[in-house]
Amino acid sequence: MEFTDILIYAVYILIFPGALFTCLFGLWLAGVDRKVVARMQKRKGPPISQPAWDFLKLCGKETVIPAHAARGVYLAAPYIGLASLIVTVLFIPLGGLQAFSTGADTVVILYLLTIPTLAMIFGGSASGSPFAGVGASRTMVSIMAYELPFILVILAVGKGMTPDGYYFTFSLEQITNVQSVFGPNIFDWRLLPAAVAMLLVIPCEVGQHPFDVGEAETEICEGPLVEYSGKPLAVFKLSHAIKMFVMTALFCALFLGGITTGMLWLDVVLALCFCTAVTLVSMTLLNAISARWRVEQLFKFFWTVVSGLALASLLLVWFC
Amino acid sequence: MFKKLIDNAAAKSPWLFHINAGSCNGCDIELVAVLTPRYDAERLGFKLAGTPRHADIVVVSGPVTVQSKDRVLRTIEQVPDPKVIVTLGSCPRSCNVFKGSYSVAGPLDKYVPIDVSIAGCAPKPEAIIDGLALAAKILKEKREAMK
Ligand code: SF4
Repeated sequence: MEFTDILIYAVYILIFPGALFTCLFGLWLAGVDRKVVARMQKRKGPPISQPAWDFLKLCGKETVIPAHAARGVYLAAPYIGLASLIVTVLFIPLGGLQAFSTGADTVVILYLLTIPTLAMIFGGSASGSPFAGVGASRTMVSIMAYELPFILVILAVGKGMTPDGYYFTFSLEQITNVQSVFGPNIFDWRLLPAAVAMLLVIPCEVGQHPFDVGEAETEICEGPLVEYSGKPLAVFKLSHAIKMFVMTALFCALFLGGITTGMLWLDVVLALCFCTAVTLVSMTLLNAISARWRVEQLFKFFWTVVSGLALASLLLVWFC
Repeated sequence: MFKKLIDNAAAKSPWLFHINAGSCNGCDIELVAVLTPRYDAERLGFKLAGTPRHADIVVVSGPVTVQSKDRVLRTIEQVPDPKVIVTLGSCPRSCNVFKGSYSVAGPLDKYVPIDVSIAGCAPKPEAIIDGLALAAKILKEKREAMK
């Protein structure tokens, strides 16, 4: 490998679209979300920079480690979750710019995306608090709830690539290429149910209201995060913000890909605008208008309605 | 440079934890009113935290009953530094109408130092916002004094 290659990869991983940019854009998305929710409730709302201030403030707080916590896991969990999220971003094409590409991006992403949630479960269980235990088990239920429709959506998009239904792919690069020929997937009527299912999977995966059963602050004191304070908590909050970016970027790659203007930087800016729009539609709207669901309601909803929508798409692309 | 940013952040995102130490519920309702769309304390960054570990400002209301005394003190101890303690209403400062009752162990300043007291029975939402803004300022000073 040449020196310039290494330099380019370093820029990809550390600056764009890797660590630095991901953190900043994630915090910005979280700020937009909070602001728009406030405006929908006729409030003035916090400034858009609020999540960034929250993050900085938490960095300056004392880190309390409970006496009966498993120290190593407790402190390492948030950083592992953050790292795997940043790696995920590198596999998602952002307006045609994809840092790393494999033959099976979506499978890699599927696995990488479970790590932050698992990190939260492990960190919570390691803290030794009963609230965290309840939160961890609830989070586990929500993983099971959204993972099934998520996989069905990915299968449907991978299959629904060409009009003659010829090939099946897990590669996001290929998905983007085909979309640039046949137009974005969202305009394909067979994939419309899958797009709706994906819009519902996003808030559940991110852990956003009304699907935040694991972190219900009014019932179980923020679940797995109950004992966290200071920097580890700051990293968890940052991961939450980055997840919003990762999931919306994935949606854009699956359903709104292949829109090119001819200039790479313009494409990237366009993709980021799409990310913001998807955040507003899928997360902010639901957040503002609904109350938190019970665990079993969530599970039932995702395994019947959402999975049903995704399955309908899968059958349509397979047989139509 | 980072220290300065973090110090500034302390004043901009104070998270509240509310303890009811035997209050008559009047003050509690007023605190909730502060967070409603009409007064919207969230525009200043205030947020109710679900657990004392996430809090910066501890808001205590009520005259500190015998039953709640140990729990209040323990909860305050669980808040990571820097923290600010705010009393809400007249009760935690003087025991108010509950003074002399066999079940009251207050006032609160017998046990912990108090940074801001918001007077009134119950205080107006405007007064509460004023007091909390002052508490955020004190939080920043405490943060600057750290390390
Ligand atoms: S100060 Fe007044 S309103 Fe507040 S708790 Fe005491 S008696 Fe109730």
